[in-house]
Amino acid sequence: MSEPRSFEELQRDLEEIITRLERGDVPVDDAVALFRRGEQLYAECVARLQGAELQVEELLPPAAGT
Amino acid sequence: MPKVEHLVYGDRKVFTVSAFNRGIGMHLGRLPALWVEGEVTELRRNDAWANVFLTLKDPKTNATLDVTIARRSYDRLELDLSEGETVHVAGRAEIYEQKGELGLRATTIERIGLGGHLLALEQLKRKLAAEGLFATERKRRLPRVPRAVGILTGADAAARGDLVATIGARFPATKVVIRETRVQGKGAASAIVSALAELAGHPEVDVVVLARGGGSFEDLLPFSDESVVRAVAASGVPIVSAVGHEQDTPLCDLAADARAATPTAAGALVVPHIGDLELALVASRRRLGLAVRAQLERDRGRLMRQGERLRDSPRLLLERRRATLDRSGARLQALSPLATLNRGYAIVRAGGGALRTAAEAHPGDRLQIQLAAGSLEALVGEVHG
Repeated sequence: MSEPRSFEELQRDLEEIITRLERGDVPVDDAVALFRRGEQLYAECVARLQGAELQVEELLPPAAGT
Repeated sequence: MPKVEHLVYGDRKVFTVSAFNRGIGMHLGRLPALWVEGEVTELRRNDAWANVFLTLKDPKTNATLDVTIARRSYDRLELDLSEGETVHVAGRAEIYEQKGELGLRATTIERIGLGGHLLALEQLKRKLAAEGLFATERKRRLPRVPRAVGILTGADAAARGDLVATIGARFPATKVVIRETRVQGKGAASAIVSALAELAGHPEVDVVVLARGGGSFEDLLPFSDESVVRAVAASGVPIVSAVGHEQDTPLCDLAADARAATPTAAGALVVPHIGDLELALVASRRRLGLAVRAQLERDRGRLMRQGERLRDSPRLLLERRRATLDRSGARLQALSPLATLNRGYAIVRAGGGALRTAAEAHPGDRLQIQLAAGSLEALVGEVHG
């Protein structure tokens, strides 16, 4: 959780949490903690999608004449 | 064969310039007819001239050779040649005697431009295929949600515009990194290779699209250049080739991880649709809620069952004991001699234990007979052993 992670990674974590909960062998305390983390990931994913505008970066070719 | 005349100065044989040229010409005339390949430059044709003149150039060394062909022969070929095209010329070496210039007297000319390129391409394709560069198992999966999409493009506003518009419409939550480069003509191949390396080396770029609109066969050739094809195959990030139109298959298409017929199709390949992602997220959240609720239900259910078992345990224990006791009683009952007596049997004793044989008693002995209810005292009259 130190460096910003990609949308895909966040979504993968969310999916992993859901799968663990669905398997149904998580102790109660962990289940609640996992759920909270899942909600956090969901919110983070949604935030990434919403209100984003396409960023365009132009790489300049190295000095002409090559 | 006419003789080449010479003058004589003492013991010196001397040729006039014309005689020299003619003599060389005669020697050249003995050489066999052959084919020469080169690029057409300086094509000069005039209805008033008997001959058509052109210069053939060796593209590798820039060496040149003058060619003449009878205008009528040339016109009959209906070649409509333009400069820069590669041709095969059949003819013999000749010398232009007036100038002493060597040339090729052509009988026919064949355009090989495309044919030659196609042949070379086919050979390169076979070689690279043999190395496994186009193998399906080499193809990498495109990232589902790239952090940034690299776009390698020429000064082709349409291809670039279509691609950026498609990406922006489908998935605005991303970034495009555009690197414009020369994509046709001399030096294009090496320009493409270095632009590709720059894009692939960009820290956020997870996939690169080669976006080059349609063009002539020659225009697209750099995308079949060996260095470009190898760079595509060896690229650190997956590559989508959107070069030319549907019917074109530059070799980079074969080496790329995916191929798109148009820039728009490429856009759809490299980013997901934001609506799909949002739907997937909503579905994920629902599953998350359901899963945690189900987990808690399961835990609650287990707890309740445990509670019931706890409460029931003393009663169960008692019942179990009682059942055991009942079974013991029944077994005891079955073994009781009283049960036998009830069926009409009797136990006969003679002072001590029960009698089993008549010989144990003697006439006059006193016997005790126990019945199911009460007992009798009796005397033995006779003994029958």
